[in-house]
Amino acid sequence: MAVLEVRDLSKQFGGIHAVEGVSFDVNEGEILGIIGPNGSGKSTLFNCILGQLHPTSGEVRLDGRAVTGMRPCDLNRLGVSRTFQLLQVFPELTVRENLILAAQEHKGSMLTRLFGARDVGLTGDAGRMIEFFRLAHVAEAKAGALSYGQQKLLDAAMAFMAGPRLVLLDEPAGGVNLTMLANLRDRLAAINREEGATFVVIEHNMEFVMALCSRIVVLAEGRIIAQGDPADVRRDPKVIEAYLGH
Amino acid sequence: MADFIQLLVAGLATGGIYALVAIGFTLLWQTSQTINFAQGEFVMLPAFFMLGAMSVLGLPFWGAVVVGILVAALVLGVLFKRLVVDPMLHHGVLPLAIATMALSLFLKEAVKDFYSAEAQPFPPLAADVNVSFLGAAVSLQSLIVVAIAIGAVVALQLFLNNTQTGRRMQATAQNPTVARILGIPVERMILLAFVINAVLAALASALVTPIYLAKFSNGEYLGIAAFIAAIVGGFNQVRGAILGGLLLGVVDNFAAAYLSAQYRAAIPLVLLIVVILFRPQGLLGRVEERTV
Repeated sequence: MAVLEVRDLSKQFGGIHAVEGVSFDVNEGEILGIIGPNGSGKSTLFNCILGQLHPTSGEVRLDGRAVTGMRPCDLNRLGVSRTFQLLQVFPELTVRENLILAAQEHKGSMLTRLFGARDVGLTGDAGRMIEFFRLAHVAEAKAGALSYGQQKLLDAAMAFMAGPRLVLLDEPAGGVNLTMLANLRDRLAAINREEGATFVVIEHNMEFVMALCSRIVVLAEGRIIAQGDPADVRRDPKVIEAYLGH
Repeated sequence: MADFIQLLVAGLATGGIYALVAIGFTLLWQTSQTINFAQGEFVMLPAFFMLGAMSVLGLPFWGAVVVGILVAALVLGVLFKRLVVDPMLHHGVLPLAIATMALSLFLKEAVKDFYSAEAQPFPPLAADVNVSFLGAAVSLQSLIVVAIAIGAVVALQLFLNNTQTGRRMQATAQNPTVARILGIPVERMILLAFVINAVLAALASALVTPIYLAKFSNGEYLGIAAFIAAIVGGFNQVRGAILGGLLLGVVDNFAAAYLSAQYRAAIPLVLLIVVILFRPQGLLGRVEERTV
């Protein structure tokens, strides 16, 4: 069953069609990869789905419910979380505090949030995420003091904190060294396998996407030019052309 | 030695007041990039609210202090944010800073015209007695000021570090974009920072006015002192403002006694210049990079 349905989504900036008539589904429990050369509209597509941009036309449905143009914080409440291409953690808070913060707005009422205890009963969840993403040795360190790769892991862990329906990962592998990359890929595959988490990954790194995703959508110049399983997509002449140029 | 302890306690009392005002300064900067040049007047004005509560409502001193703090929270917190900061902020940091300068002049002149240009008597916090402290006779008033300032700072730190709302405020200061996406009510957190600033300033007002008496021009030096304290300590850290405030108060008192009473007012400026030359991010501040 489809968790996310994108139907005929378009976004224009002035006369430029950044995204044009894009439709695809994300099924429960799958890892969908969205790839494409620079400027192919991947990030614009992401931002339209996440309510950061208003699509010019088209529709986005979450579990069959129209969520087109909904505010990011409301989408977050409905269980759509994301990571960022450029790192976005809270640098002066510890890893554990960052994790708790990522889910605390989902818990309790306004009153308990104002006066309630600090951990909001999320210590257990945060501990599990710290174990899962192998951040135990830096759990009490300030996020800003972590290496870039560790911050990427934290960013991903934060996205999974609130037990989301769907996670959108924006270039999780960007700027991460090879060892950390293998670690990240391994952890993402594990959370998909063990918890049945559904997610969409935008990525430049072909190898990372091929190894992680069960299905791939290829964008070029704002349109979908191919989709299917990784092996087919890799052989598709249109994809090769889009990547290697004319 | 007895002299030294007397001066130290007096310095910590002055410094504690500076710290309260400087903390608010850094809170406003961190949450909404507001540099409040009316901060000194935010300390001057609540004393008049308190005088009004005593003369008009007939309240006893401490009751008037509470009323003064509440009125300040409303007028210098909520109304300041809604009527001055919100309309100006989207024009940029500089126009907003200039607007706060205008507000500073307005508050000063308004008090002068509508209340009085003369210094008004203000009740002391405690009887004017000295108590023995580590072998020195120090004024009870100074000790009370130090105790209240420490209490306020500790309460604020506990709030910021140990409650969910405190953590939301920190998140708002560190990364408002992500905080908003996570569902944190960023606007409400910023408003809360303004209210906390007003409460701290009103508290400082109750502590400082018994010494200076209530006068429209009281904010002039206090505003500069808090500004210097915040820069010396580190503009982006609450604990920097605390350190900066205490340091300034102590240096101020020692300089007046041991160096020269005439050049007393110059010493904080010298401190400011030295810090800016050798450690521009402030003693405890961290280097801030801004994207344009």
